[in-house]
Amino acid sequence: MLDEPTTNYLKRLFETKLNRSMRLYLETCARCGLCVEACHVYASIPETKYTPVGRAEVIRKLFKRYFKLQGKFAPWLGETIPFDDIGIDKAYEAAFSCTGCRRCVGFCPFGIDTQQVMNIAKLLLIGVEKQPQILAMLSDMSVAKGETYIESSGNYLEALVNLAPEVEALAPTPEGRKTIPVNVQGADILYVGLSGAHSIVPAAAIMNAAGENWTLSYFEAVNFAAWLGDAQKQGKIAARIVDEATRLKVKEVVIVECGTATRVMKFMTGRHPFAVISIVELVARYLDEGRISVDPGKFQGKLTYHDPCQLARNGGVIEEPRRIIGALTKNFVELTPTREENWCCGGGGGLISLGEQDFRMRSGKVKAEQVKAAKADVICTACENCHSQLTELNEHYNLGMKVESLTNLVARSLTGFPGKP
Amino acid sequence: MDPLSVTATTVAAVSAASAVNAVSAASQAVAHTGFALFLDGLYYFIMVPLVYLSIAVMALGIVLRIASILAAPAPVFSLKTYPARKRPLLAALGDTFGMPSIRKRKPVFWFFLMWFHVGILFLILGHFDLFPNIHIMPAASRHMVGAGFVGVSVTLPAFYFLIRRFKGQERQISVPADYLLLLLLLFTFLLGDMISWGNSWTANGFVMTKADFGNYFGILSGFSFADPRTVLHGSHYHFIVLHVFLAELFMMILPFSKIVHSFFSLPLNVLRRK
Repeated sequence: MLDEPTTNYLKRLFETKLNRSMRLYLETCARCGLCVEACHVYASIPETKYTPVGRAEVIRKLFKRYFKLQGKFAPWLGETIPFDDIGIDKAYEAAFSCTGCRRCVGFCPFGIDTQQVMNIAKLLLIGVEKQPQILAMLSDMSVAKGETYIESSGNYLEALVNLAPEVEALAPTPEGRKTIPVNVQGADILYVGLSGAHSIVPAAAIMNAAGENWTLSYFEAVNFAAWLGDAQKQGKIAARIVDEATRLKVKEVVIVECGTATRVMKFMTGRHPFAVISIVELVARYLDEGRISVDPGKFQGKLTYHDPCQLARNGGVIEEPRRIIGALTKNFVELTPTREENWCCGGGGGLISLGEQDFRMRSGKVKAEQVKAAKADVICTACENCHSQLTELNEHYNLGMKVESLTNLVARSLTGFPGKP
Repeated sequence: MDPLSVTATTVAAVSAASAVNAVSAASQAVAHTGFALFLDGLYYFIMVPLVYLSIAVMALGIVLRIASILAAPAPVFSLKTYPARKRPLLAALGDTFGMPSIRKRKPVFWFFLMWFHVGILFLILGHFDLFPNIHIMPAASRHMVGAGFVGVSVTLPAFYFLIRRFKGQERQISVPADYLLLLLLLFTFLLGDMISWGNSWTANGFVMTKADFGNYFGILSGFSFADPRTVLHGSHYHFIVLHVFLAELFMMILPFSKIVHSFFSLPLNVLRRK
C-alpha cells in the first residue's frame, strides 16, 4: 500500500481525468466481453490482461475503490484494488500493452474508449514516477526544442541543403522557389515532418511537383507525450507547431505520415485559423485536381495497404489512400479485415519508441497472419510507426514482402514534368 | 370441452376459492403475536412503505448520477470514430437500440439481448396494466400483459446471461457484482413468472388474481397505506412479498450498478459518433 500522501495525490490526479466521457466510460461497462476479440494483443496472446475490458477494469477497480461507495462498504463486490505496487504494476501493464488503436470502440455496444481510460493509468504512472523513461525523455526533448529552436536552426538548415539533390532527383523545384523552403511567411502549406530525410524528401518532391507554395516546419510532428499520457507536455509539443503556423500565416498544416501526430494536431489542439490535414489527404487532392501525375506502371506485383489506426479509424482518412493507390496500380488487394476494422500492427502507443521488440512481435502475430493471407508482394502504409512495425514483422515472420510508405511510392512514381515524362 | 367437465372445473375452482377465502379469513381472525406479529409488520413495511422508499431511492439515485455526469467537464476533443456518419445522432440511436456491433459478431448473444430488452419493456407495461385506471389489456381480461410470455422473455435471457459468465473470458472478466445482480434479477423474474403463470393458467388464478393485484396497486397509487392483506388473500402472499422485496432491492441498486447503462448507453454512443 502506498503512503497516505501519495494515495491522496494519486486520487487527485485521477480526479483530474474524470470528465464527462471518462465518467461514462467508467460507470457503464457491463463486462459483456464483446471487446475481447477486438484486441490484436489478445488475438495473438490470449490472456485476460490483454483484453480491452481487462485493461480498463484495472482503472475501473481503482475508481470504485476511491470514488464509489462500493469501495468503502463492499469492495469485494467489484473486486476493487488499492493504490499499491501490485495495482501500479497492473496499471503499467495495461497502459503499455495497449497501442491505443481504438478497435475495441467499434466492438463495444456502448463505444467505451479504452485508449481514453488508459490515459488515467498513464497519468497515475507519471504520479509515482514509474512512467517509461524513454518516452519521458523524448517528450522533454521535444518541449526543449520548442524553446531553443532558433539557436539550433543553423544545423537544421544546413542538413536541408544537403537533402535538396535527393528531392531534385524525384521532381524539379518550381522556378524561383527553394527546393526545401523554410520559414516562408504567407506560405499556403506548412509541412511538418519527422527527424529523418525519409519523411521530408518524398513529400518535398510531391509538393514541388504540384507547384505548391509550401514551407517546412522547424519541428518534428511526432508527439511522444501523447503516448506518455502527459496532457500538459502533449499540449506544449503541439503548441510549437500551432505557434509556427500562426506566425507564418499558413492556410494549412500538413502532417507527415504519422497517425498519432495527425490525430493530435487535427483533433486535440482546438480551433485554429488554419486547417490540419495528413500528407495522404494532400496527395489525394493533388491527384484529384490533376496537379501531379504518377506512372501507373511503375510498380509490378500485388500491392496491399495497411490502414494506420490513428489515420483511418480515428482520423477518417480511409478513402484517400485508396484513391492514391488506384492511380499507382491496378493490382491492389485489400487486407481482411480492412479499413476501420483493420487489425492494429502492434507498433502504436509508443511501443516502437520503447523498443519492446519481443512483445511487439508476439502481439503482432495476428497482424502477420493477416498480411500473409493477402499474398501481396508489397505492403504500403502511411504511418511511420506502422512502417517500422510491419518491417520488423516481415522479418520476424518471414513474410517475404516489401514494406513501403505510401508517400514514397508516389514520389518515386511522379511523372509528367520535363526530364521525367 | 365437455360442458359437464367445464361445470365440474368451475365448481372445483369456486370451492377452492371459497376454501382459500375461508382459510384467509380464519387466519385474519387469529390475532398474531410474537414472530408472526413481527412478520406482519415486516411484510407491511415491504409491501407499502418500502415500495415508495425504493422508488424514491431509484429516482433520486438516477437524477444524482445523471447530474454528476452533466456536472463533469465536457471532453475537450472529439472522441468519434470513422467512417463518419451523415446523421450521427440517428447512428447513435441505431447503435443503442439495435446493437449492430453485437448482431454482427455474436448473433446468439444479440438475440437474447434483444429478447430481454423488449421483454423488459413489456414487463414495465405489464406492471402499469395493474393500476386500476390503466388498461393495456382489456379491462375484463383475466390475463396480464403477455399472459405469462413476458416473464419467459426476461427469465430465459437472464438465465443465459448468467450461464455465459461461467465460461471463457466472460468468467475471467466477471466480478461478484455481475453474478449477484443476475441472480437477483433471475429470482425476481422467477417469482414474477409464478405469479403471472398462476394467474393466467390455473383455474383459481394463483389463489390471488390479476384483480387482486389491481387492488394492491390501487392501495399504492392511492397512498391509502392500507394493509395489502385486506386485498391479497391466501397463503401465497409470502411469494408476493418476496417478489416485491427483490424488485425493491433491484430498484434501489439500479442507479449504483452497471444497470445505469439504460441511461448512459445513448450518450456514450453519441460520443463515438459525433
